[in-house]
Amino acid sequence: MRPTGIESLRGVQAALMEVIAPELQSAFAQDAARTAQMMLESLANDWDTAAENLHRDNRALRDLLSQTREAIGSLPESNDRLVALVKEIDGALAKPTGQSLAIYDLTAENERWRGLLERTLVDLENASLKAAFLPLMPVRQAIYAHLREVAARGWSFWDVMSFRERMTRLRAGDSR
Amino acid sequence: MLQERLESYLNAKLPAAADLRLSNLWRIPGGASRETWSFDARWREDGKDVSRGLILRRDPDASVLETERDVEFRVMDAVWSQGVPVPRMYWLESDGKWLERPFFVMERIEGCETSPQTVLMDSRFYQARSEIAAGFVEILARIHAVDWVACGLQFLGVPASAGQCAEMEIAKWEAVVDRDALEPQPVLRAAVCWLRNHLPPPAQRIVLVHADYRTGNFLCSPNGEIKGILDWEMVHLGDPMEDVAWASIRPWRWLGDELVGGLMEREEFYRQYAEATRLVIDEEAVRFWEILGNVKLAAIFLTGARGFCDARTRSLMMAFLGRNIGRLELEIMDLMGV
Repeated sequence: MRPTGIESLRGVQAALMEVIAPELQSAFAQDAARTAQMMLESLANDWDTAAENLHRDNRALRDLLSQTREAIGSLPESNDRLVALVKEIDGALAKPTGQSLAIYDLTAENERWRGLLERTLVDLENASLKAAFLPLMPVRQAIYAHLREVAARGWSFWDVMSFRERMTRLRAGDSR
Repeated sequence: MLQERLESYLNAKLPAAADLRLSNLWRIPGGASRETWSFDARWREDGKDVSRGLILRRDPDASVLETERDVEFRVMDAVWSQGVPVPRMYWLESDGKWLERPFFVMERIEGCETSPQTVLMDSRFYQARSEIAAGFVEILARIHAVDWVACGLQFLGVPASAGQCAEMEIAKWEAVVDRDALEPQPVLRAAVCWLRNHLPPPAQRIVLVHADYRTGNFLCSPNGEIKGILDWEMVHLGDPMEDVAWASIRPWRWLGDELVGGLMEREEFYRQYAEATRLVIDEEAVRFWEILGNVKLAAIFLTGARGFCDARTRSLMMAFLGRNIGRLELEIMDLMGV
């Protein structure tokens, strides 16, 4: 269907910037329009990739938890928290993987995996203080590497201000 | 209408004022915690014309910070008398009968800017950057030197010991994540765990911590003079390194480089602060507080996101911030060294 979702979003952005914003009288309304523009940009960036990212992340999370389970299983000694964690991971891994590619379903599955990863990472952080649990550190690093990849997809309000370009000009003596 | 209701309020507060009129009422953009409105008030008193520029800070429907406005009012009022540059506080109103929600009214400091874009990039301010930087450090030292006992600020909650400052702040912001996170937060939870496992030494002394001291929260004139420190909603008693670290975290560097607050090299910031306060900068302690600062900022964003998702606010900024905590997570992981 044309315009596609992304074409429509870009059209809304253009209308907001070229038609609506110039008519706004108050500084507060203009600021709200700029924020709406940033929000639309954020959504547009997600439009094509959200489902694929969630699908890939869910597989990665499942693999990471499986690796964690293996690493804990290979330890010569454990503790109550890690034993309970293995049980919980085993339970989650035993469930069939969802087949739906709907964002709603992928998100629900992602939250289940991330919830379990949250508890796992806290246990690994505490384990990182003890030499006996040193063999768990590679999987801890693998989890952080995954979380870094996910976090790097986001952007932030201080990125959108074009500060760097303006500063480069200022430092070069161009005060326009 | 807000203007008429505000006029009624001021008439009640200024019984000697005649012909009181308000004009130029407008809402100032930004400020994700309280609504901020600017207006002019004119009246006659004792046969003379009086004119004042005023600021109204009104509680919002939902906010990124759930704080009591009377704390901000009382602390700003107290530090003003100690020589810390803040607007003069006039009236605090907890009763919603006047403007639907609680609010306070304070002085408007004229001829100044707060926006980081202007303060850091406008060529007039850029010329005065070393003066801004020096003032930024000197005023922070002045805040940390406030005699909070003499000012009667114990109501902020005195930490039981200098060693408890860090644990109290961890607990405070973990509780916000517990309350407001709408989805799992593995990085924030791991960071909280890391913080508990790497507590800093006890505070060198317990001071008044502004807790949001940064570029963007001061009023600055084009000649580089800082005339007002704003946004005291999170003020408390605690470890001075908390403010040192918060002023230094990446989000408030603004320019994408390493300058603290977009203003000065970190070494210079530390040197000037240590000289002004006679406190020792412990870089490991600052790292701890920077990690906690990023966790705190993420928690604040989560509060905004919950307010949006619960339909308590229509602020798109709250939604936008909630969707974009990834950069904070990256910074947290960098600082943790993982």
